Amino acid sequence: MFSKILIANRGEIALRVIAACKEMGIKTVAVHSEADRDSLHVRYADDDVCIGPAVSKQSYLSISSIIAAAEITGADAIHPGYGFLSENAHFAEIVGECQLTFIGPPPEAIRLMGDKARARETAQKAGVPIIPGSEGAIRTVEEALDVARGIGFPVILKAAAGGGGRGMRICWDAEELPNQFDTARNEAERAFGDGSVYLEKYLERPRHIEIQVFADQHGRVVHLGERECSIQRRHQKLIEESPSPVITEELRQRMGDAAIRLCKAVNYVNAGTIEFLYQDGEFYFMEMNTRIQVEHPVTEEVTGIDLVKEQIRVAAGEKLSVPEGPFKLRGHAIEFRVNAEDPVTFAPNPGKIRELHLPGGPGVRVDTHIYRDYVVPAHYDSLLAKLIVRGKDRLDAIARGRRALEQFVVEGVKTTIPLHRAILNNEQFIKGDLSTRFMDKFTM
Amino acid sequence: MNFKEILELIDKVSESGIGAVEVEQAGTKVRIEGKPAPQQQVMAAPQQQQDSAQPPMIYAAPQPVETKAEEKKRLDEESEVGLHIITSPIVGTFYRSPNPESGPFVQEGDRVTKGKVLCIIEAMKLMNEIEAEIDGTLVKIYPQNGQPVEYGEKLFAVKA
Repeated sequence: MFSKILIANRGEIALRVIAACKEMGIKTVAVHSEADRDSLHVRYADDDVCIGPAVSKQSYLSISSIIAAAEITGADAIHPGYGFLSENAHFAEIVGECQLTFIGPPPEAIRLMGDKARARETAQKAGVPIIPGSEGAIRTVEEALDVARGIGFPVILKAAAGGGGRGMRICWDAEELPNQFDTARNEAERAFGDGSVYLEKYLERPRHIEIQVFADQHGRVVHLGERECSIQRRHQKLIEESPSPVITEELRQRMGDAAIRLCKAVNYVNAGTIEFLYQDGEFYFMEMNTRIQVEHPVTEEVTGIDLVKEQIRVAAGEKLSVPEGPFKLRGHAIEFRVNAEDPVTFAPNPGKIRELHLPGGPGVRVDTHIYRDYVVPAHYDSLLAKLIVRGKDRLDAIARGRRALEQFVVEGVKTTIPLHRAILNNEQFIKGDLSTRFMDKFTM
Repeated sequence: MNFKEILELIDKVSESGIGAVEVEQAGTKVRIEGKPAPQQQVMAAPQQQQDSAQPPMIYAAPQPVETKAEEKKRLDEESEVGLHIITSPIVGTFYRSPNPESGPFVQEGDRVTKGKVLCIIEAMKLMNEIEAEIDGTLVKIYPQNGQPVEYGEKLFAVKA
């Protein structure tokens, strides 16, 4: 087992990893930018190193600074968290070359799944259903038009190197395709430094359903059920839950088996998530995230498995601790992302937290790095806290969510708390009638 | 509390001639006992936390120590007025010479010109040469040879 883990991240996920390490008796190193000097992860870690200025490129994305920090503090493993360098195959490689352990999948698996077009091909070969679309990246407007006519409009253009909604464009007919194609290419080039885009059929009312997978170094691969993350705006998740209200035991096994086949096809190790779109009883592979997810607590609450500790154990070469045989999801868990954003316009709202009260009591978990007088920096993403509630069934969890959100007080910055309260009182949400388009029509 | 701050505290304790001082900060406890003899002891420092936002809390410290420490800090800051401080552009290990056999690049009191190599910071087995940013006289070298430095940590003071 490792003696000291460096966490190459910030915010709530850095604290989450520190918590797992503390409980396992492993020492921790926090790295931070100048803007995060007063952060809790810096305070709670055994060691801390300032690795650069506020701008991520020179701090949390600086591979040499992070490796140097590991060297001067004597860390023997690096946990990348999510975002930043977590899905950077080059970083994972360098960590290995420096005789450190990367707590995550092998670089080859990250690289393969990180290229969305190649990921699709790999999924198809592994017998995982995919959405009809282009074979790999599309180079010209003519080619795009050809493929689009073949599969029928509407279609969506996506950045091959993408994620997080950037470089995505929906086209409803052949007329608007040329312009959208150019925009998608430009966005992809700007956001990822790679202008390759591909095209696929656009589903009008799909649900976002993802399968949590876990593989150890001894060849065992398991799935830990699904999370439904249909409540999104601008392709950013807002609410996640498990189980999904529409997934039957039979469908869960089919999706889980497909996910496991894909993992085996890429020799996957450690935690991963395979995202599917689901519509009318059919599921289609979307992409694989080769890291721990923001919404991993939802799975932890219904399976009783600590995914971060499992990541550390698996990286150290231990076998998966998940029991053999069929498992059952127990109860229902929902996560609400509390962001420093205007709940109506979603404009980011950095600033100082003047007053804070976190909800508690039965079935309530809050993963957060904020405290009273904490200044939310403008340099990073707007996630302030994750509220996770657990109930015996979905309605029970919703009632608990309402109660917890009422008790959740954040003053000084605008947050998405009022939006979550409104969603929990929405008839359609309560019925479980969800789709990724839910927020398009939702008004507070 | 970083190593440098601990060293400063030791200096203070020996100068003031008081018996002992104990400082606790963010889980780090440092107890320094002064002796009339030249040497001091540092005890019970479980984890050296480099750099912290909060000023150290001094418990049971005789009044003169605190004021003297404050005075030293004030004097330090005042003595830096008009000086050009060169800070570390990267995280790594600070070396004063190009290799263990040769002498240091610079000494305090040396005349330096813009572009002169002052030290090396090793990060990921790469030796990064840090150059003088202005012409002037090198009045202070902050880290010890072989000491880890963070981004933004003070390396040199140059008087133009």
